[in-house]
Amino acid sequence: MVKYVLKRLASSVVTLAIVITIVFVLLRQMPIEGYFDNFEKLNEAQINAKLANLGLTQPIPVQLKNFFANLLRGDLGTSSRYSAGTSIASIIAQKAPLSACMGLMSMAISLAMGIPLGAAMARSKSGFWDKFGTVFIVFINAVPAAVYYIFIQMYGTSWMGISMLFDRNNYVTWILPVFSMSLGSTASYAMWIRRYMLDEMNKDYVRLARAKGVSSQQIMMRHVFRNAFVPMIQYIPASILYTISGSIYIESLYSVPGMGGLLVDVIGRQDNPMVQALVMIYSAIGIIGLLLGDLLMGVTDPRISFVKKEGAR
Amino acid sequence: MTEPILSVRGLHVMFNLRGRKLHAIRGVDLDVMKGESLAIVGESGSGKSVFVKTFMGLLDANGWIDGGEIVYNGEKLTDYKTEKQWLKIRGGEIAMVLQDPMTSLNPLKTIGAQIIEAIELHRPLRGRESYGEMISLLKDVGIPEPERRAKQYPHEFSGGMRQRVVIAIAVACRPKVLICDEPTTALDVTIQAQILKLIRSLKEKYDLTTIYITHDLGVVANVADRIAVMYAGDIVEIGACDEVFYDPKHPYTWALLSSLPQLGEKGEDLYSIKGTPPNLFADVRGDAFAPRNPQALKIDFVKQPPYFQVSPTHRAKTWLLDPRAPKIEPPESVKRLASEGVSGFGE
Repeated sequence: MVKYVLKRLASSVVTLAIVITIVFVLLRQMPIEGYFDNFEKLNEAQINAKLANLGLTQPIPVQLKNFFANLLRGDLGTSSRYSAGTSIASIIAQKAPLSACMGLMSMAISLAMGIPLGAAMARSKSGFWDKFGTVFIVFINAVPAAVYYIFIQMYGTSWMGISMLFDRNNYVTWILPVFSMSLGSTASYAMWIRRYMLDEMNKDYVRLARAKGVSSQQIMMRHVFRNAFVPMIQYIPASILYTISGSIYIESLYSVPGMGGLLVDVIGRQDNPMVQALVMIYSAIGIIGLLLGDLLMGVTDPRISFVKKEGAR
Repeated sequence: MTEPILSVRGLHVMFNLRGRKLHAIRGVDLDVMKGESLAIVGESGSGKSVFVKTFMGLLDANGWIDGGEIVYNGEKLTDYKTEKQWLKIRGGEIAMVLQDPMTSLNPLKTIGAQIIEAIELHRPLRGRESYGEMISLLKDVGIPEPERRAKQYPHEFSGGMRQRVVIAIAVACRPKVLICDEPTTALDVTIQAQILKLIRSLKEKYDLTTIYITHDLGVVANVADRIAVMYAGDIVEIGACDEVFYDPKHPYTWALLSSLPQLGEKGEDLYSIKGTPPNLFADVRGDAFAPRNPQALKIDFVKQPPYFQVSPTHRAKTWLLDPRAPKIEPPESVKRLASEGVSGFGE
């Protein structure tokens, strides 16, 4: 087990290093105007002096080496245009917690609504809950999110008298953005748990459990639901980690000062150091999320073993 | 083998398949005697499994009992309405071993937990006691090192071992009737005999009545006291094992026996029954086997034969047993079986 984890960690680090290198090299191909606020007004000497100052005149392998060296010391670099001169770590530290907090709340709501909904759908196959849930899922997936986000904002704020703008100290203003954010994952959790439960319900071991006299209620709880949840567990760590990236649309709709849209923003402004740092963070999240998902799956499903067995069965 | 423990009268089962009605069981009468070992044989789709599922209220949601009654130990099972009533029967009175041990255990629960679940459902044992009972059941079904094995998951067991676990679950609640639905079909030939032997020894130990469902006549010859031959949702012939093997009366039984590979002549093609079973979506007229029977009588196409009693224990539904019927001899291979027996049959 420990050996497996270490091996996976090592390969994750390698993957991440490759991603960083590719992004780093690509960003060096960008026009140099991105590093200046007033490029047109400067003469060549001033430009070169600034580039040299930023370390950009060195050959790319040397720059890359410096970047990695800084990274190992925990230094992500400083923003060049988004908020010139501020350290990237402090920008992220300011924005990420808010996005993560909102994301986690919405995820908790999605799990709390989506899983019971999906389970009810599986139990009443083609009954009321199944039809209700299907309408909900189709609606959420078919209608562009922007449409119902705006509806929720319009009607939510006018009926409930909540302010349109988000204020981190006024808890009422959290309700609408968090609720809106949770709808999409509620639908997908419901859809998947329904599907996995129906798969399990048609298996022989459920028939055997019925034949040995387990009531349908207990078959659902002890056998079907539990087994159906295992394949879903894999995706949960990644979903948790991704909450820090925030939701572009909802954060701009309610003016939430979070991470949502930050990457798009810094790409637009050609803030290369920040693009680089954010891409690195997001890919690290993805990689770690997958790793944790696999490990969690291995812990919950006894059929998955992390050690190679010789001559199994 | 005196009184019936389970008796079925005029049972009809229907299924609704996309709006069409399928008549799966067509008026079956059967008495299962206390302590006997009964085998129900027939080809795929003859209704064997559906028939025994009705004893435990386990028909799929689109199937229902459409007449007739099932009486178990004086209880009229066909009157049962709620799941709660059935829960006492399932596992506690009548238990079942399913065909495929590879899929009939929950892959995410330990073997021990799955047996204990069954024990605690029907018996007043808890905690330490049920653990002890579970270990002794594992010993009973011949699993070595039960303490260690109980902590393992199904994927760590071989097919034969899993079937032993399934059997342990089935007998865990001390049922009176054990239904084995093709218990050896999914297993290696070498394991089959062991499993049958195990079921037979548990039958003695726990005083069980066993019902085997199979299409393997080799299995039947090994284990059955009585044989019921099922065709198109009806029992066409039933009798003691010897009677059905050595003095069969129904043309379908003849055909079934002739298709035993052991009865074929070396170098000749194996016998197979021509045609397909009747379409049970439509009404079956006369003898259901008539269209596939080259020697069918005219009346076979018109009127359904009643049971004709051959001996106190042996009866068959065929017009050939009517005194007015022409004399039709069973095929050569079946007669040879009667005079010589079959070598290499069974164990």
